[in-house]
Amino acid sequence: MDNEEPLSKYILDSEKLDINNFNKKIKVAFLSSFTINGLSESLKVKCSKKQIFCNSYVAGYNQYNQEILNSKSGLYSFLPDITFLILDTRSIFGDLFYFPYSVTKLERENFVNEKITEIINLITTFNETSNSKLIITNLSLPNYSPYGIAETKTNYSFHDAIIDFNKKLKEKLLNINSVYLFDFFKFIIKHGENNVFNFQNYFFGDIKISLNYIPYLANELMPYIISFLGLTKKCIVVDLDNTLWGGIVGEDGFDGIRLGPQPPGNAFIEFQKYLKALSQRGILLAINSKNNFNDAIQVIREHPFMILTESDFSCIKINWNNKASNMYEISKELNIGLDSFVFFDDDPINRELIRENMPEITTPELPHDPSLYSEVIQSLDDFSTFQITSEDTNRGQMYLQQKQRTESKNSMSDISDFLKKLNLKIEIKKTNTFTIPRISQLTLKTNQFNLTTKRYHEDQIKNFSEDKNILIGCAQITDKFGDNGITGVFIVKKINSDEWLLDTFLLSCRVMGREAEKAILYFIITKAKNNNIKRLKAKFIPTEKNKPIENFLPSCQFYEKDGFWIYNLDKPFNMPDFLTLSEE
Amino acid sequence: MSEKLFKIISKVMNVNYENITDESDPSTISSWTSFNGYVLLYELESNFNVKFSIDEAMDVKNVADIKRHLKNHGVSLND
Repeated sequence: MDNEEPLSKYILDSEKLDINNFNKKIKVAFLSSFTINGLSESLKVKCSKKQIFCNSYVAGYNQYNQEILNSKSGLYSFLPDITFLILDTRSIFGDLFYFPYSVTKLERENFVNEKITEIINLITTFNETSNSKLIITNLSLPNYSPYGIAETKTNYSFHDAIIDFNKKLKEKLLNINSVYLFDFFKFIIKHGENNVFNFQNYFFGDIKISLNYIPYLANELMPYIISFLGLTKKCIVVDLDNTLWGGIVGEDGFDGIRLGPQPPGNAFIEFQKYLKALSQRGILLAINSKNNFNDAIQVIREHPFMILTESDFSCIKINWNNKASNMYEISKELNIGLDSFVFFDDDPINRELIRENMPEITTPELPHDPSLYSEVIQSLDDFSTFQITSEDTNRGQMYLQQKQRTESKNSMSDISDFLKKLNLKIEIKKTNTFTIPRISQLTLKTNQFNLTTKRYHEDQIKNFSEDKNILIGCAQITDKFGDNGITGVFIVKKINSDEWLLDTFLLSCRVMGREAEKAILYFIITKAKNNNIKRLKAKFIPTEKNKPIENFLPSCQFYEKDGFWIYNLDKPFNMPDFLTLSEE
Repeated sequence: MSEKLFKIISKVMNVNYENITDESDPSTISSWTSFNGYVLLYELESNFNVKFSIDEAMDVKNVADIKRHLKNHGVSLND
């Protein structure tokens, strides 16, 4: 585990941050049932390391009820993006923390149910008053019980009540949009109650997390910030020799590399298992290795203890090229930006090469000892998303199909011939509980084929879909190689009886270059015509990354006027005939 | 050793080393809030490898008090 800096350093450093140095900003509010001084400062400094300026609001100590219930409170006027509500077992259980057995089993059960109702009521008020995402902690389990070893022989014991509270809170939150649970229980397991809690701190200032553990807590809150700002990494690129296995296959040979149940080979097996688990939740894997292709691929294909298989990798670069140029190639082939990559390589020189040439790529230090690799991968907070969608879990498979498509494309001389044979089907879908999280995710993550790069959270998408002046939908795109999932989004604002405005128009990078966008535009144009609309307006907001969509509007007969792109709806719009469009 | 103590105070309270005296207290160092006072004791504990009792922590009103308690814990400040 990384050793943290002392809290005093975070407090000092947080005062030196200059708002002008950051291109991303977030507003974070903290509510708590105990003193959490230093937490906002620690989070600010951690954000600054990722070029994020974190503006914070810290509510008075144990003022969370008042802040939430008063619609004119400082919390609401701060307009936070994310609000953390940090609770502790002593405050919630009150006297029952000390005297749980002064009441009957039934009273303990009722107490937990009442507390859950209280908290859910607070959350409901918060949700009605604020657009902020709310992250609420569950409770830690104290080692202490007045019953000692008899605790575990007691029906609905003190500890059972805490566990029951956590279980019920989780169940209730599963169905509440934009409210998430932070597993404080797990945080204490990770660091240990005897380390995190100390009586002196507690008596001195109701400090229930020792000062030196505050920065560790800030670490655990970072994934929410990363996910909110859409900075989640999409792909892990790994080296092979001494990274996925011990030794150098070109020198030690197929039988000589260390990979198997005996140490140190088991450390590499463990590391591969973590990588495989990440790939199963939607993080892509790729290889960037200096090796003889045949030596290395033989290990991947035939070694009995390889956990990762060839099909787990969406892109494989095994050659003698410079690793930086391989990275460019991988980025190009997978169609994702360099800032979406994490690079694992045991060689410090290669890491330095990538850091210098591609600072956007996250290149973690790898310890010399491979038994620590798994710890490094577990500690990375770059892969977090608020929710896992079915597109995430199928992504690896979809990219594999993409690889087959590209190979098929390379084998055909004429691109239109390729597109015709692709048998592309675009199905327009309405918003519902299944599509809303994905639509939001696409607006947050899509950078390249994105006309306006407007980022929308789930609650905003939900509001749009209830607004009769807005046409919102998404596109599920399939072809002969398989289902790409929901990979297109459009949001159209019905400005008046003559004009509609394209507020958002995007395609995921994995379906770019197949003219599916024309089918989606055709759908919008047809809808507009049916409503006797005269003009469809659009705006192109250029960014560093959306060059691929730059020519889309002019290529579809939009003309530029007064800063807008306009399409006159009396003109016929031709959708390429190799596309099949349908509506759900 | 006084130098080490003053350096820690300077760092935690974010004040110039030269402005710190034995008489410095929350009235002369505006960043000396009760919380920062506690952060300071925490830093001193780890830097001088001592552990203050809650009575000692509550007793600290100025820099001279800190020196007194450090001496009681056997830290030699060589003034």
